[in-house]
Amino acid sequence: MHPFGNEKPLNALGQPAMPAPAASQATPPFLSSGPVVGFGASGASRTTAPFSSSGAFPNPGAQGAPQAMAPPLSSRPITGLETSGYTSPPQGRFNGLTRPPQPSYPVQDPNSFQQSLAPRFPPTSQSPYPLRSPPFGAPSVGPPLGPPPAQVPVVPMGPPPQISSPSPPRVSMAPPVLDSSVPAPTAVLHSPLPGNPNAPPLVNMPHQQFPAGRPVSMPAPQTFSAPNAPPYASPFNAHQGGYVPPPPPVGATLGFNSMGQTQYPSTGPPLEGTLQGLIEDFQSLSVASTPGTLDHGIDPKLLARPLEGDNEPTSILETYPLNCHPRYLRLTTHAIPSSQSLLARWHLPLGVVVHPLAEAPDGEEVPVVNFGPAGVIRCRRCRTYVNPYVSFTDAGRKWRCNLCSLLNDVPGEYFCALDATGRRCDMDQRPELCQGSVEIIAPTEYMVRPPMPPLYFFLIDVSVTAVRSGLLEVVSKTIKSCLNELPGYPRTQIGFITFDSTLHFYSLKSSSSQPQMMVVADLEDIFLPMPDDLLVNLSDSRSVVDTLLDSLPSMFQDNANVESAFGPALKAAFMVTGKLGGKLIVFQSTLPSLGVGRLRLRGEDLRVYGTDKEHSLQTPEDPFYKQMAAEFTKCQIAVDIFNFSDKYSDIASLGTLAKYTGGQVYYYPSFHASIHEEKLKHDLARDLTRETAWEAVMRIRCGKGVRFTTYHGHFMLRSTDLLALPAVDCDKAFAMQLALEETLITTQTAYFQVALLYTSSSGERRIRVLTTAVPVVTDLGDMYRQADTGAIVSVMSRLAIENTLSTKLEDARQLLQLKIVKSLREYRNLYVVQHRLAGRLIYPESLKFLALYVLSLCKTLALRGGYADASLDERCAAGYSMMILPIGRLLRLLYPSLIRVDEILLKASHKSDEVLERLPLTTESLDSRGLYIYDNGFDFVIWFGRMLFPDIVTSILGVDFSTFPDLSRAALFERDNEISRKFTKILMKLRAEDLSSYQLCHMVRQGEQPRESSLFLSNLVEDQTASTSGYRDWILRLFRQTQQSS
Amino acid sequence: MLSVIFLWLFVFLLIVALFLLTGYQLMCCADLEMDYTNTYDFASEINSTVLPEFALQGILSSCFLISRHWVLFLLCVPLLYYHIRRYMHRQHIVYATEAFHQLGREKKARLVKLGFYMFLLFLSSFLMVVNMMNENY
Repeated sequence: MHPFGNEKPLNALGQPAMPAPAASQATPPFLSSGPVVGFGASGASRTTAPFSSSGAFPNPGAQGAPQAMAPPLSSRPITGLETSGYTSPPQGRFNGLTRPPQPSYPVQDPNSFQQSLAPRFPPTSQSPYPLRSPPFGAPSVGPPLGPPPAQVPVVPMGPPPQISSPSPPRVSMAPPVLDSSVPAPTAVLHSPLPGNPNAPPLVNMPHQQFPAGRPVSMPAPQTFSAPNAPPYASPFNAHQGGYVPPPPPVGATLGFNSMGQTQYPSTGPPLEGTLQGLIEDFQSLSVASTPGTLDHGIDPKLLARPLEGDNEPTSILETYPLNCHPRYLRLTTHAIPSSQSLLARWHLPLGVVVHPLAEAPDGEEVPVVNFGPAGVIRCRRCRTYVNPYVSFTDAGRKWRCNLCSLLNDVPGEYFCALDATGRRCDMDQRPELCQGSVEIIAPTEYMVRPPMPPLYFFLIDVSVTAVRSGLLEVVSKTIKSCLNELPGYPRTQIGFITFDSTLHFYSLKSSSSQPQMMVVADLEDIFLPMPDDLLVNLSDSRSVVDTLLDSLPSMFQDNANVESAFGPALKAAFMVTGKLGGKLIVFQSTLPSLGVGRLRLRGEDLRVYGTDKEHSLQTPEDPFYKQMAAEFTKCQIAVDIFNFSDKYSDIASLGTLAKYTGGQVYYYPSFHASIHEEKLKHDLARDLTRETAWEAVMRIRCGKGVRFTTYHGHFMLRSTDLLALPAVDCDKAFAMQLALEETLITTQTAYFQVALLYTSSSGERRIRVLTTAVPVVTDLGDMYRQADTGAIVSVMSRLAIENTLSTKLEDARQLLQLKIVKSLREYRNLYVVQHRLAGRLIYPESLKFLALYVLSLCKTLALRGGYADASLDERCAAGYSMMILPIGRLLRLLYPSLIRVDEILLKASHKSDEVLERLPLTTESLDSRGLYIYDNGFDFVIWFGRMLFPDIVTSILGVDFSTFPDLSRAALFERDNEISRKFTKILMKLRAEDLSSYQLCHMVRQGEQPRESSLFLSNLVEDQTASTSGYRDWILRLFRQTQQSS
Repeated sequence: MLSVIFLWLFVFLLIVALFLLTGYQLMCCADLEMDYTNTYDFASEINSTVLPEFALQGILSSCFLISRHWVLFLLCVPLLYYHIRRYMHRQHIVYATEAFHQLGREKKARLVKLGFYMFLLFLSSFLMVVNMMNENY
């Protein structure tokens, strides 16, 4: 194929996609990809480079500075105090190559630095866009640098030029000097900024926290490209040219940023460039021990903490406005490596997290498209759907597929003339051509059968445990209350089976006034006593269904049966629903004990724990469940498991049903209606009423050279790349990993297209198409810059959980650690040459939270400790639920919020919109006079400090600690007083942030053992616990390991 | 004398059958990889041939045992053990749900088996010829 096949049209269309190389050369400005913080940017910078390069220059004094300093500095121990970042030795060395060390050695003081900077601006009286006139530079210094053409190749990466987003995403500023007592540098940095588009990043250098940095040190790298001879310059430019977004001419200057210090006269507009140059590419954290102390120099306050929660990488939309919103699709790094060797150096997962039915805020719903008689427009060869990145040619009669670059005909009905720029005239009216996410109404070719009606089938355990715990009653009530809101009225179908040691079928014929119950005791050979009326149309039989739900609890209230014929019940349910498909909702409160699929209490066999066979407890024991899952998926039935057991109930086996059918596992250990009622009600109601897509299949397509290898989540892989999803909804996300098929990718942009074909509850067959474009990069630094921590953590957590099914927990954790260490080491190697990094852990701005998330991932229920640290069922249930969590909720679970509320409660006027400030998750955040809420999205833990103002306790709980020592039985509801009202309001507000799950309140008092430690203290992820390290030690350990062999 | 020839012929046919069965299973694997089939068909096709293969291999081994071809029998024992072990652990079946997970391992195992059967095929035909010549003289 032609590497640039797309460009012509694209450019013609005025679309942003990659500029053709030729063009790029011609118009350096945007190519320069300004913000490239690193060292000079693309070709543009090189062109200018000439004048910067030539060693012998007017300002010997200034330029000498760096070099001269180098030697002395290097010998110094690096301590936090070191201010002068720009003195890093390597540069000295480099300079050394080209020029002799200069004697004058300016004082090491940020200010001096600043001064040195300042002078260089005035001299630049040239045109503001020096880039444009490469020749200009040439005459002055031309010779030393290689001929400009040589640099051309760099350019291609240029991102769509049109966007002039002021803040390059990855700009990580090098934070001010370690030593906070020397604030000067920051100030200095700021001063020149006004009017600089790049200012924002700089300014929000919030990174005071990571003072690690030798703030000023960043310029160091630049030095690099400038003075040293062309050979050096070009590679660097090449890399960094990257595809950093655009601010115009800046890049040019980068070449001689070095000069920032070295004061070359030629830097005109470079102001920006220089500043950028000052910004370091990475963040760092000083871990050097201060002389004389044993303590390692990590200040816990400076560690990165994601207190703002997940931030979607929406900045990508500025670069690629035609991409689908990141809420639907996120890549672990928004850059595809161009070669396998580059990929091999990226030790983190390379993949995609797709959340196809993510809930969109009002006004941003996915537009619906109907192609009508034209049929769905797709590529003939690769079956890609028409999307904003295709290009129209031949006066609008043909279109070129952006994935396989095949030229397709445009159907007559879809034809539209092109305007002068090559855009289709009707582009703006066609969402599929101007938006990355659309929903296409599928014609009949996309149906193998008439669209199925939404179908809910309930399989309810009515054995003694279920009845006693109040489960049956809550479930019946909740289902009844949701009947009106079940999606798909009036087509919705519904049916029930209850079971204990026998199966009970209910005939819900609309003509009868009472449901009729039939008991089948033969578990070996299941048959349906009355095949036709077990599954009925809800609107027809509404009154019968209501009657049944009203009477269910009382029918079984005296049931003393302890057995559970779950397997046979499952088979019966399959026989009933098999023809239509739908959703099977299972309520199970004991271990299946009768008939096919009965399970053993294998989880209680202590001898297995700690051995090599331990992991086998997490995989299904009886193949029956795997086979049933396969059958269910084949018949488009999704299974949701609600498990309520207080004893071992082998969630590992039961969950298999959900795993392969696109379902979900809910687990309520030791369920009791009085405690869990609200949560169950909410979860069940959400499950029943959320918008659900039925009988769906999902496929993700990508361009040549890239291939999806593995998929992670709840679905069934029907063929190599087709995910079968009997039901999918807004609470499920899927992860997949990529591999490169070819050693080298020649295109500049890779495209991904997710297509989800499903039946909506209204009975319409639809295809949701999500398209995204990703630049192909040649530089590892670019990959790090565009990395998306959320997506990486999501993929890593799924991989780790899958690993626990085949290896020991310890090994799974080790693997996580190994990955992060390797990637940090690789990152360090990128910079270790040019910077003095001794005693510093460096990491990209984009991944600053990764270490913390991975640490807390190791501490989650699913991966924590050994067998004693979490019950097997809880572990499995946590694993199952983490496999489907969308990124935002996963990050919330990994780093929950901790909020202090007593002050808010006592404050006289409490505005409802007050921002709740999140605190670091460590015991040091806790004050014994405070009241805290810990919220991980699934549970609340309310922590009462020992010295909490007693009024608050009595107002909220209605009791006193002295008379009511056991908080596990305290009830929390709104009481008639101001404080309690406020408190409930806060809880409601927190719950409203995420409706997909309901946080159950656990209350715990300071010092109340052992509940405090099991519920609360063990979840403070930054703290050290018996077997796990704290955040600080973790960072130290990572640091040490990244240093080894580097 | 005649019985020996028949035995050798029988053994030869058995080995050919095993060879073909394994080849068929490998083809199923390849089909799944190339996307020509789906996991359900894949699982049912493979599973339908697994038990016959195990049985044939058992018969083959016992033939060698009965006819006192100790070396050949010893050659077959490891595979026999492997088959019995898989069967006892119920690992001989491929599950549709995990087809892709199992695919790599299954394919490798079958390739090795294919090689083994091929070796056995050559060996037995060689032995058969040698044997018959010996008988004749």
